[in-house]
Amino acid sequence: MPAPPPDARSFLAEITAIEPCGADAVLLRARPERAMAPIRASRFFMLKLLDGTSPLIPRPYSIYRQRNGELEFLVKVMGQGSRALAAARKGQELRLIGPLGNGWPTLDGEGLPWVFVAGGVGSAPFPMAIEQALAGMDGRAAVDPGSISLLFGAANRELLYDLDVLRSTGVRVHAATDDGSEGWHGNVIELFEALVAKGELPEEVRLLACGPDPMLEACSELAERRGLECWLSLETVMGCGVGICNGCPVMTRPEGPLGAWPNAKCCVEGPVFRADAICL
Amino acid sequence: MADLAVTLGPLSLRNPVLSASGTYGHGLEMCHFTPPERMGGLVSKTVTLRPRPGNAQPRICETRAGLLNSIGLENKGVENYVETILPDMLGADTVVFTNIGGESVEDFAEIAARLDREPAVDVLEVNLSCPNVQGGKLPFATDPSNAARAVEAVRRATSKPVFAKLSPNVSHIGEMAQAVEQAGATGITAVNTLLGLAVDWRTGKPGLGTVQGGYSGPGIKPVALRCAWECARSVSIPVIGCGGIATAEDVLEFLAAGCGAVELGTACFADPALPGRIVEDLERLLDEAGRASIRSVIGSIRDGRGSSRDSAHAQGVEAR
Repeated sequence: MPAPPPDARSFLAEITAIEPCGADAVLLRARPERAMAPIRASRFFMLKLLDGTSPLIPRPYSIYRQRNGELEFLVKVMGQGSRALAAARKGQELRLIGPLGNGWPTLDGEGLPWVFVAGGVGSAPFPMAIEQALAGMDGRAAVDPGSISLLFGAANRELLYDLDVLRSTGVRVHAATDDGSEGWHGNVIELFEALVAKGELPEEVRLLACGPDPMLEACSELAERRGLECWLSLETVMGCGVGICNGCPVMTRPEGPLGAWPNAKCCVEGPVFRADAICL
Repeated sequence: MADLAVTLGPLSLRNPVLSASGTYGHGLEMCHFTPPERMGGLVSKTVTLRPRPGNAQPRICETRAGLLNSIGLENKGVENYVETILPDMLGADTVVFTNIGGESVEDFAEIAARLDREPAVDVLEVNLSCPNVQGGKLPFATDPSNAARAVEAVRRATSKPVFAKLSPNVSHIGEMAQAVEQAGATGITAVNTLLGLAVDWRTGKPGLGTVQGGYSGPGIKPVALRCAWECARSVSIPVIGCGGIATAEDVLEFLAAGCGAVELGTACFADPALPGRIVEDLERLLDEAGRASIRSVIGSIRDGRGSSRDSAHAQGVEAR
């Protein structure tokens, strides 16, 4: 029976800052009522503003940064829940449930280079992935900055959140925009193929991807075609985040590593899945 | 500190706060949020005879005052439940309700017989009222004779207490309550979700993959409270209230309307630690009101009929 992670708790946090980020997002920082252990990149929290009028059901957000005892989230304004969070003020109280989910696999420096593929707000689980890979994860060798490439795509340059910050990490960052306003004119999959063709990316890499469904499908297809290992961090509608509502099913591959049951729970069995374990 | 202990017919609960089926897993998954020993009881997700993969996505859709769902009773079937869940539940320091679902009287009888031999199961709660299977037709929830046949079949198949979970999607829930009482139910759970629907008029796309589904959350509380009250005054077996409960005040309102205990549902999605906090709040509210026992609240509604008080007496609890 998939259960929520044993370190997940329900707790309060005070909002310490809300800053605009890109054309339509904010960076929301909050100080939890209790100190938190370091959180693995691509794990997430359910967030709910305790203002009495915000939506009933909390919303899932990937941990974006964790520093100085604060948790930071990248919140793209899309609907009622994100609008309420973005409109919150410093000093307001949030209820957080987490940390939830599994997070990225061990990003080690012992095998093939890593390519991180981000689409729009799907960049959220990557700043910490870079930080943790460069520091060394789970007792494994740290990754050399030259062995991480971040391919970051969006509709236009205003939606490439924190691009300069990502560039300052020292990893290889390649942008792609649908309108050509920054970097490659086109999508990240075409960019990947072009970089390989030019010899700027090796043919043999390991892939992590987070972004809109069509991008994830294309990444999964690319990985299968090229025989690459690939992990996808998914976003689904979630009612609880802790495995009890059954509202976030992900279709499993028949005979795949997740077993015979047709659905996996995105919240407690993911949000990170091997691309060859699921059907998108 | 106020005494929170209640009784439901033959059952003694340390407090009246239970989880609602389908909103708290099978129970022990949530032990880091509210330990089972703080809960009056844990009600499992619905278990069916055979595995059910559940409905198409989207399965949940939030609305202004609640949540629509059409999960479709996704579960791995009773054998899997017995083999993988029940061994852990055996040591749970709380009353364990197993909620059972079926598409025929025979299904209900077979699953009840299977669980009758399981010592980890204290009570069977019969889900007569899931709106997300059988095309939302609710065959066991809207016809008193069908409901009675299902409950009779379960009653014959088990020696355990049997609670019948009713639907609010009926004109006279009191008649349903009487039908299941006569069929041998130990108690009643009132209520399951209301049928509901959401649609985006711009695209014509329904909020749920099954178009209609079950509506729950704060928006249904007054409806659920009235249903629970009608049940409590219509029968002499105990009633567990359910529907939109999110605070300790809500719990006490259901008790005042005649319920012996309550189940928390959708509110646990928003915060799985809520049951534990509500128990603390109940103690505080009763202390502030100078009530030594929560049992003094049960059936205290001044509805001019007194039948709720009578039913509270019949539950073996103090009415004042």
